[in-house]
Amino acid sequence: MIGGLFIYNHKGEVLISRVYRDDIGSQAADSAVFSSSGPFLGERLGGSVRRNAVDAFRVNVIHARQQVRSPVTNIARTSFFHVKRSNIWLAAVTKQNVNAAMVFEFLYKMCDVMAAYFGKISEENIKNNFVLIYELLDEILDFGYPQNSETGALKTFITQQGIKSQTKEEQSQITSQVTGQIGWRREGIKYRRNELFLDVLESVNLLMSPQGQVLSAHVSGRVVMKSYLSGMPECKFGMNDKIVIEKQGKGTADETSKSGKQSIAIDDCTFHQCVRLSKFDSERSISFIPPDGEFELMRYRTTKDIILPFRVIPLVREVGRTKLEVKVVIKSNFKPSLLAQKIEVRIPTPLNTSGVQVICMKGKAKYKASENAIVWKIKRMAGMKESQISAEIELLPTNDKKKWARPPISMNFEVPFAPSGLKVRYLKVFEPKLNYSDHDVIKWVRYIGRSGIYETRC
Amino acid sequence: MPYLGSEDVVKELKKALCNPHIQGDRLRYRNVIQRVIRYMTQGLDMSGVFMEMVKASATVDIVQKKLVYLYMCTYAPLKPDLALLAINTLCKDCSDPNPMVRGLALRSMCSLRMPGVQEYIQQPILNGLRDKASYVRRVAVLGCAKMHNLHGDSEVDGALVNELYSLLRDQDPIVVVNCLRSLEEILKQEGGVVINKPIAHHLLNRMSKLDQWGQAEVLNFLLRYQPRSEEELFDILNLLDSFLKSSSPGVVMGATKLFLILAKKFPHVQTDVLVRVKGPLLAACSSESRELCFVALCHVRQILHSLPGHFSSHYKKFFCSYSEPHYIKLQKVEVLCELVNDENVQQVLEELRGYCTDVSADFAQAAIFAIGGIARTYTDQCVQILTELLGLRQEHITTVVVQTFRDLVWLCPQCTEAVCQALPGCEENIQDSEGKQALIWLLGVHGERIPNAPYVLEDFVENVKSETFPAVKMELLTALLRLFLSRPAECQDMLGRLLYYCIEEEKDMAVRDRGLFYYRLLLVGIDEVKRILCSPKSDPTLGLLEDPAERPVNSWASDFNTLVPVYGKAHWATISKCQGAERCGPELPKTSSFAASGPLIPEDNKEREQEFPDSGALMLVPNRQLTAEYFEKTWLSLKVAHQQVLPWRGEFHPDTLQMALQVVNIQTIAMSRAGTRPWKAYLSAQDDTGCLFLIELLLEPENSEMQISVKQNEARTETLNSFISVLETVIGTIEEIKS
Repeated sequence: MIGGLFIYNHKGEVLISRVYRDDIGSQAADSAVFSSSGPFLGERLGGSVRRNAVDAFRVNVIHARQQVRSPVTNIARTSFFHVKRSNIWLAAVTKQNVNAAMVFEFLYKMCDVMAAYFGKISEENIKNNFVLIYELLDEILDFGYPQNSETGALKTFITQQGIKSQTKEEQSQITSQVTGQIGWRREGIKYRRNELFLDVLESVNLLMSPQGQVLSAHVSGRVVMKSYLSGMPECKFGMNDKIVIEKQGKGTADETSKSGKQSIAIDDCTFHQCVRLSKFDSERSISFIPPDGEFELMRYRTTKDIILPFRVIPLVREVGRTKLEVKVVIKSNFKPSLLAQKIEVRIPTPLNTSGVQVICMKGKAKYKASENAIVWKIKRMAGMKESQISAEIELLPTNDKKKWARPPISMNFEVPFAPSGLKVRYLKVFEPKLNYSDHDVIKWVRYIGRSGIYETRC
Repeated sequence: MPYLGSEDVVKELKKALCNPHIQGDRLRYRNVIQRVIRYMTQGLDMSGVFMEMVKASATVDIVQKKLVYLYMCTYAPLKPDLALLAINTLCKDCSDPNPMVRGLALRSMCSLRMPGVQEYIQQPILNGLRDKASYVRRVAVLGCAKMHNLHGDSEVDGALVNELYSLLRDQDPIVVVNCLRSLEEILKQEGGVVINKPIAHHLLNRMSKLDQWGQAEVLNFLLRYQPRSEEELFDILNLLDSFLKSSSPGVVMGATKLFLILAKKFPHVQTDVLVRVKGPLLAACSSESRELCFVALCHVRQILHSLPGHFSSHYKKFFCSYSEPHYIKLQKVEVLCELVNDENVQQVLEELRGYCTDVSADFAQAAIFAIGGIARTYTDQCVQILTELLGLRQEHITTVVVQTFRDLVWLCPQCTEAVCQALPGCEENIQDSEGKQALIWLLGVHGERIPNAPYVLEDFVENVKSETFPAVKMELLTALLRLFLSRPAECQDMLGRLLYYCIEEEKDMAVRDRGLFYYRLLLVGIDEVKRILCSPKSDPTLGLLEDPAERPVNSWASDFNTLVPVYGKAHWATISKCQGAERCGPELPKTSSFAASGPLIPEDNKEREQEFPDSGALMLVPNRQLTAEYFEKTWLSLKVAHQQVLPWRGEFHPDTLQMALQVVNIQTIAMSRAGTRPWKAYLSAQDDTGCLFLIELLLEPENSEMQISVKQNEARTETLNSFISVLETVIGTIEEIKS
């Protein structure tokens, strides 16, 4: 149970504060981190509860000198669960012994809901939408207990315009939405054009040793679906999951060997609430009635046979005590017809760097003194290509005996395929009551692979 | 900050709110109200415009209504008389045709924290419970809990509880979950909502319809349910199996906990469950949501305590990435340290060695300590790595390495030789107190193996005047005296100088005392010094104490998925201890009213009642004074039914205890006077079925414990257990009040 929710900016000023339970803060008050300013009545009663918890958090976490030691901070026996989004802090406060995972999930959900309403979570957006946020906080938490938090359902009765004049029909619809047996979809949805979009979004993570040995690699992926379908459609989703393909291929041996190569082993996967898990367990088929609009159908993780889109080969040579020569080669490792985008290589430099000369074959490279790194950006790069950068780094002589720790070279990119090798084989739609068939539905599939933490040590 | 000049702001806003032109223009009106709320958020006192805000609540604009209600909920306790004016509007809204308006009004009304509001909200809540819109029912159900909270200590309303129990069958999933939450709060005194077989099965069937918050909550409530037979237990486990693979980590953890607790008598099932959640947990550990990842890592550590090899083959998952936040790195290092085995030790050490030179001194030190931990099993490799680290000659590394060496030499004497060879030269790179102490201790205890030990110590003696830490000086005294025993010729002179300094010039009393003590000890004779100072130089058996052997799963299962693994057991104990003391405060819990509330239990609950007529229903009869003779006779004729030891520290007031026991209807037959050692007391109590309890309390002077022996004239474990829990609560409370 959550006692209160606060949103701060990076200076520690409170942008939003909503207190659900009285118990929080009464002890934080004892800690007297910030004495509440006396003359104001509001500070003394209801206000003091909140203010002290608020101030305690600012002093102990946002303004703390050291790095954050834990996302759960205990101040005067009150637990603060905090999450940072760009430079905004969200904190859930409680005095109870709660499930930490649940509280964080709730905060993430809160962020998702806010993002669905007004996009990026930034100070400006929060200030501009603060009425809306209070409205949302009112709906998704009551007395500190999470209530309905589905964006789809919320959007039917909290609209950005605020005032929504409701006809009788709409009203009853909302009620049925809010009550509905299937919580995620209401009856009677109609579209002129039945369309659906499937996005396979993956983030590939890599940790590589200087010798080019993969220390750890994994892909965490999501299949996001946007559905604009009429009625109550039954959907069936198929992908090149190894287990399914092996099961089907049992009859024809040669097909197994043919498709076996392209199938992938999924370490573990989880589904949206709408997927019938019993069917997945027994037949490993994914069937569901989708919510209207955008939702995350499944989330998965793979660790085997990952296609690493880029290979980074670093070469660092120390020439004397005042010079460093760095050469980095990147190789793209995918079909030549595909194009990778937004490539950025970040080569860390020592703290005592005085000057840098960079030569790169492609793209633009710049030494950013404030970030202690050379940032090399390439707009586009086709597959099976290679590019290199070489830099001479001048160092100031220091008497600091500390050896430079050589942080790893990190990389960012976006590629139009799934590094895990996942392929959507089909997505069938059946709607028994309305007369449209699977063929009438327009389907779009898109694959995007992004870099997660993609590091090569040097 | 807007703390200043608030009066002007209030005045201005007041004017704006009263302005008929603004009131006429919906948008402008709302803007002014928004400003009020904004100032309120910033901490400005806005109670001055209460009257005007109440007026603003009479509008058709829902958003405006919401804002005004938010404002009222904040300031109502300050202006109860004015708030009553708003009640009228709220009551009217409670019968609005629009369910959203009804729900909003009801929710706001229940959140007005002011005295006297109960009488107004009772009827709307009851209406709300029977509303046809589930949105209103959800609000009304939680409203019951809010109302109960307002009353504080008031009686539980039986009819209301019955109504809530029957709403557990509501078709809306959120209403169901809210009912559980609400009942839990209302029945807190009686131990929370009762989960009997029909309710448990009903909840199990509804599980898949709930959202993730509901699922997590219900899993938590189900912990309370005890399946009757093994068959039922396994049915439940099968039913809940899919939740181990839920997309929400919170639900996964909740399900895991439930499995571990339900299967507490089947260790192989527990192990199997932990194997099955390995995947989801690992996924959470490498997820992008860092905070969740942190929580998952904390739980992985918890599991490793019982199953050390559980994650060993996945050790690479716990390698740190450069850009991860500090708290995740620290957790990962701890995990790595715990999952090391023969196969991966090489790679893990290689990895940890890399962290030791990290830019963040904190992280580097954590990594070095981790290597020190691994060194207890894989001594040679680790000592070699640590020795190499000394070569870097960096202050923050050297000091931690030396501290690690100190602990290591004590636990693994076989590495003494290697450590002694590595030490020379370290003294140049140590500045902090902890590091110096460790180095000096090593030089003192193993000085005979380190050729230049006396010279290093001599440097310290030379600079003792400028030394800032008294602890270092103390350590230096002891070390030098020890070294003097093995290498007298080299040390005699400087020992004299040091003792002179400590006795004559030192300001710190502890150091001076230590100096004087050693001086007098030396006067007695060298044999006496040897007898006292030549303690053992190592003690490997301590290692067992340091890291206790594998703990059984059951020892932490009840802490799983709470804050305990996140904070660590010790830290949590201090937090919750203080909280407990706060709660119990001056008044004692009304433990004697443990009796289950008969009429409050709904139909489906009756069955359970019949099967276990006395489960939890312990009613002690007041004023059942026994004569001392009768007590003695009965005491001698009975066997001890239960014996237990409770912690007890410090002073003791028999009067307080006697009074406290009286409150729960336990009579004192006889007790020793205060301060007597050992202290004894004889107590008696009788419940409504005539079962007699005789108790002996024994407080031994040497150990800080209270021993309790209970005898019973009828052997009934059920009542015995509830009686003991009453007794424990009372004694625990007294203990807490005292401390």
